[in-house]
Amino acid sequence: MTALSAAHPVVQRRRRPVSPFIVLSRALIGLIVAVQVYPLLWLFLTSVRTEQDYTEGNPFALPASVTLGNYVRAFRVGNLGRNIVNSLIVTFGANLLIVALGMMAAYAITVLGFRFSGAVRAVFLLGIVVPVQIALVPLFIDYSRVGLLDTYGSMILPLAAFALPMSVYLFGSFFGYVPREAYEAASLDGAGPYRIFFGITLPLSINTIVTVVLVNSIFIWNDFIFANTFVLSDGLKTIPLGLQNYIGAMGKVDWTATFAAVCVTITPLLLVFLVLNRAVIQGIESGASKG
Amino acid sequence: MLPSRSRLSVLVFLLPPLLIYGIAVLLPILQSLFLSFFSWDGTTSPTFVGTANYVRLLVGDDIFWQAFTNTLIYVAISLVIQIGGALLVANLLFTLTRGHAVVKTLYLLPAVISTVAIAFLFQRIYSVQPEGLLNQLLHGVGLGQLQQPWLSNVRTVLAAVSIPEGWRFTGLYMLILHAALLAVPTELEEAARLDGASRWRVFTAIRFPYIRPVWITTLIMAVTYDLRGFDIPYLLTNGGPGQSSELLTTYMYKTAFTSTDYGYASSISVFIVVECLVAVALIFLLLRRRDQS
Repeated sequence: MTALSAAHPVVQRRRRPVSPFIVLSRALIGLIVAVQVYPLLWLFLTSVRTEQDYTEGNPFALPASVTLGNYVRAFRVGNLGRNIVNSLIVTFGANLLIVALGMMAAYAITVLGFRFSGAVRAVFLLGIVVPVQIALVPLFIDYSRVGLLDTYGSMILPLAAFALPMSVYLFGSFFGYVPREAYEAASLDGAGPYRIFFGITLPLSINTIVTVVLVNSIFIWNDFIFANTFVLSDGLKTIPLGLQNYIGAMGKVDWTATFAAVCVTITPLLLVFLVLNRAVIQGIESGASKG
Repeated sequence: MLPSRSRLSVLVFLLPPLLIYGIAVLLPILQSLFLSFFSWDGTTSPTFVGTANYVRLLVGDDIFWQAFTNTLIYVAISLVIQIGGALLVANLLFTLTRGHAVVKTLYLLPAVISTVAIAFLFQRIYSVQPEGLLNQLLHGVGLGQLQQPWLSNVRTVLAAVSIPEGWRFTGLYMLILHAALLAVPTELEEAARLDGASRWRVFTAIRFPYIRPVWITTLIMAVTYDLRGFDIPYLLTNGGPGQSSELLTTYMYKTAFTSTDYGYASSISVFIVVECLVAVALIFLLLRRRDQS
């Protein structure tokens, strides 16, 4: 306490007492954060409750006893392992396309430059406001013609394409910050556009790549609409579809086991998010301040 | 412009992204436009019907108009929670001396959860048997007479499916707005405070105008994203009971994949795109007009 008051001069402390406004505001923050977090906490608590405790107990109370039986049932009844592998494949594939294609387009538009680069950029940016629903019927028809229905590709292609505008925008605005002298010097040394791309642009873009991958992973991992429209066979179902199947598969809904399955499937992304949340938050903040 | 570039190198970098984008985004837009002038069930050959689908949509389909009204209410409720909540928390965060990172992380947490998980969660929050969190809470604070089946009551269901959408993304918009507020010069605020301006005045006269470009961007993001909201209403109620929580997106989806009426579904999805573009144009137009006055 003495160290604290030494650090903050007493005069200043007296002039700025903790006003009722500050107290109220902090309480309000606490309340709002509780509304955001409590449902998720409740989900975890429910996943370790016994079934009887769930149907008869007070939902706000702590579990009467902790059981892992729900998790055992969740794995036995569902196809969780397969669903997780499928989600990993789709997330990896789509991210690869989003990063590679996004960087290439941004490089061509911002760094190389060409006559209609402004128009091409505008066509890409337009995609930010295009709702994904417009593509469902046409893609469904096209896929069934070329036999792409019910494949990993049927999910990866639209997921990547609809995320591409944001990726082109983010990489483009980052490439704009790279000093032109760096490119010109390399050019004078005889480096061509490919060497400059791999030698200068790519290594400098690591931070932007991390941001793009993190933000997109959240959307791809959780994608429901494309998977629900284009995938039919159980072996290809991603996590959101697998979860939805749960309820049907069990006839009478086994909510505690379903919640256990939900917990298993949200944990990987949640862990990545909690470990890397600084990068996610900074990514969103910097993307916004440029906009 | 790079001096050593060649026409070929531009094509090498530009064509692959343009191809993927063209196949999965641009081409489907044209295909939908084209299909919207046909009647097609997917098996027999399509027949050209001219503007019949659009006439049906605009004057002959009560469900379409109910879905449109529902969509506007859905967007309004989500926006109030998303942008209103985000602005509130972004401002209140300044009264905290520490723990900003923790609050931001926790506030953003729901954005990480899949919509299917969120639908399960809210189904249980609204449930009656066993008594869900909301009904239990009402009972606990002495408002037991308000308890009801939120998802099967036609008067509450639309709000009930809108709230999860707002809840989910308010953290994202809060981060963006808070980052913008951090850039407001403190000298300005302090000078105003010394002149006796209230906190509310400082907010309305300095902070809010200062971050204007950012909240316009945020507003456009939120409106266009909410207009395509689909997952949560589809999973929670599938538009029901009746059509009381039907959105344009869920109606389009059912028309396409349950009734396999591809032509009519395409005209609805063209309408959804137009609606998004009109919304963006309106936001620009209304806010620019205020600039000039």
